[in-house]
Amino acid sequence: MKIRVAAGYLGVTNINRRIILFVFAFLFFSPSVYKEVWGDESDEIKKQMQELRQQMESMQKKLQELEEKNRKLEEEAQKQKEEKEVEKALTETAPPPQPGFLQRFVQSLNPDISIIGIFSGAYFTTDDPIVHAEADPENTGINLQEIEIGFQGVVDPYFRWDSFFSIQREGLETEEAYATTLFSLPLNTQIRAGLMRSKFGRINLQHREFQDFVTLALPAAYFLGEHLNPVGAEFNFLVPLPWYVELSASVNSPNGLETTSFAPDEDSNNIGLLLYIFHISNFFEVTDDFSLSLGGSFATGSNGTGTENRSNLYGADLFAKYRPLKFSSSYQEVWLQSEFMYRQAETPEKTLDDWGAYAQLIYRFAKRWNSGFRFDFVDTDDPVVPLADDVGAENLLRVIRQEVEEEEAILGLLGKELRYAFMLTFNPTEFSRIRLQYEFDDPDFRSSYSAVYLQFQYSLGPHGAHPF
Amino acid sequence: MKTYKLSYFITIYEFNRMLVNSKKVVIASVAKQSRFVGLLVASFLAMTFLMFVSVSDVSAKVRVVTSVPTLAAIAEEVGGDKVEVEGLAKGYQDPHFVDSKPSYVLLLNKADLLLYTGLDLEIGWLPVLITGSRNSKITSTASPGRLDTSTLILNILEVPNTKVDRSMGDIHPGGNPHYWLDPRNGIATANGIAERLMEIDPENSSYYDERLGDFVKRLNAKIQEWDKKLAPYRGTEIVTYHKSWVYFSDWAGFKEVGYIEPKPGIPPSPSHAAELIRKMKEMNVKLVIAESYYPQKTPALIAEKTGASFLALPSQVGGREGINTYFDLFDVIVNEITSKLENMTKSVNSPNLRGG
Repeated sequence: MKIRVAAGYLGVTNINRRIILFVFAFLFFSPSVYKEVWGDESDEIKKQMQELRQQMESMQKKLQELEEKNRKLEEEAQKQKEEKEVEKALTETAPPPQPGFLQRFVQSLNPDISIIGIFSGAYFTTDDPIVHAEADPENTGINLQEIEIGFQGVVDPYFRWDSFFSIQREGLETEEAYATTLFSLPLNTQIRAGLMRSKFGRINLQHREFQDFVTLALPAAYFLGEHLNPVGAEFNFLVPLPWYVELSASVNSPNGLETTSFAPDEDSNNIGLLLYIFHISNFFEVTDDFSLSLGGSFATGSNGTGTENRSNLYGADLFAKYRPLKFSSSYQEVWLQSEFMYRQAETPEKTLDDWGAYAQLIYRFAKRWNSGFRFDFVDTDDPVVPLADDVGAENLLRVIRQEVEEEEAILGLLGKELRYAFMLTFNPTEFSRIRLQYEFDDPDFRSSYSAVYLQFQYSLGPHGAHPF
Repeated sequence: MKTYKLSYFITIYEFNRMLVNSKKVVIASVAKQSRFVGLLVASFLAMTFLMFVSVSDVSAKVRVVTSVPTLAAIAEEVGGDKVEVEGLAKGYQDPHFVDSKPSYVLLLNKADLLLYTGLDLEIGWLPVLITGSRNSKITSTASPGRLDTSTLILNILEVPNTKVDRSMGDIHPGGNPHYWLDPRNGIATANGIAERLMEIDPENSSYYDERLGDFVKRLNAKIQEWDKKLAPYRGTEIVTYHKSWVYFSDWAGFKEVGYIEPKPGIPPSPSHAAELIRKMKEMNVKLVIAESYYPQKTPALIAEKTGASFLALPSQVGGREGINTYFDLFDVIVNEITSKLENMTKSVNSPNLRGG
């Protein structure tokens, strides 16, 4: 009765109880029921989804691969296009395979021929000026200083040839005719062989048309003559130092030289009495604008005054150039050239000591104008009168003077001589020149005098560049 | 190339020390004395051997020497790090008149390849240096170590068709040599240089080829860019100091109506200047161009008198600070010209400055 009451109290009847039981069972068993009823399908869906996913992944992969391929193809195409453009550019700009218009000017194996004429009008304040060098102006009036003809060219892969002939009114003289080696030799050697201006100092290598003054500097004129140009063989070595050092050694014959220092000896088969010349040249490129060259020279050989008498000639040279390249007129430059020479000449009586020096400073203030000043002098030992009349060589140690009717047979130079000069040069082009020079000459052994020169010079043909 | 191997001057003592330290010399003898003698002999032999070896070329790079810096710049682009390039002349100096300093002989002595502009541009100073170089790789005109880059150019302008003589001034009988100022000629030049490098240094052929292709690609792109910049100014009348801009004018489409030099190499006379001013006013010339190494006073004056603008432009790589490559050169030239011309058209169009 209590249970019935309780149940009745709850309002739960039999039917309600069954319903509640069913609901509970349903709720309790629903997941598995659910699974039982729907389970297979969800598995399948998952499987299908997985398959779909896999398919998607594989499609993505394929897509990526295709993209890669496409990109690569595009790159290839681009590269090919670029290469074609490059090819086009290269072929469009390449010159025609067969020789074309540049052969229009005639090819010729002839040497380069050049001719240079140097003349000067001169006025001297004396009737008999001293003519120090052969190509200096001789008298008041218009003088022919020199006509120089050059033939230059390459002989073969091994040698080049340079020759110059100096012509004056009296006749033709060979100034230079020599070969230079072009091939590589050990120790960076270069050989010059023939008749050539020796590498003694600086001014001896400078042809007249290249010099900065109308007259030749006194020490060169006295000791070397117009030019020291013996026939010989010269060996030039480039010494392996960080700056340019050239060592030069030459063996020469003094026959035919017109200089007061060297002449053949009577003992002429003695090799030791040949003319040997040595020179060392140093070039320093101190900055881009400033260059300095220092050199020393030594020459020794027989001087013909007697058996085994020799002359020893010592020289020192300096060349400095300042050329500021960065300014708007890069043609402005200043250069200084100076040399010192000392000669010991053995004679039967005594050994003569002579020396001399010059210094020239030139300022190029415009492309076509330059101006300069030179000071030169020689100081010589007292000359001697030889015991014998015939001393063998003609010009030996004597200065040829116009005032003397017959050449006095003296050995030695005449005394001290001092000279200075101012000059102004105008070069209409590199191939012509007009120069005005005032010179004052003061010798010890006679009265001093002045001279004014107006030099004009013309050159034709491809006369090559001169050394620096 | 400025450092020389001084092994010739290494003393025997130092060399012994080097040998002993490197453990490369094994002397079998036990006695100290004979070992010393052996070391002495070995070091003497090695020293003489080294003397000959050190004089020759030890560096693996190709040594290229050029006459002008523009060729050096192009050679550097093509050769990359397989070449060592040195230019003789400076970019800010007149390439016609360079001093043939003996120090240049030292560079030419060691060169494997010499590049020069040709057409007689360097004839005043380069031949004497080549003769003194003692280097058979460059002394013969046909040797592979010597390249006249004018032979690579398709269109040489101003080739005279009458017999030349010097009354025409400083004339170049083979044609105008300033061809590097047309960038299309830069392509041909680079091509020729690369070919020659491949001939001299065949091991690195593919490297040079690659670098050539890269350079040409970049240059082509830049040429299009410059063409675009210059396009609006085609037909502009200009006056230059010397006939050095003919190739540039040909490419950019400028018209050169006169030159400040009456003839090549002759400085202007007052009568010629007056005549030029008259002509310039008539033809409404806008631009006067002169390189910085020419006297600047006269062109500036002429420009002032005629209302034109005066531009001092570089014509070589290295002609100004910051111009280190072929591209820089044209960038500077094109930019300066176009900005000057642009300013001029602006001022012409603006009413204020012209009074209405």
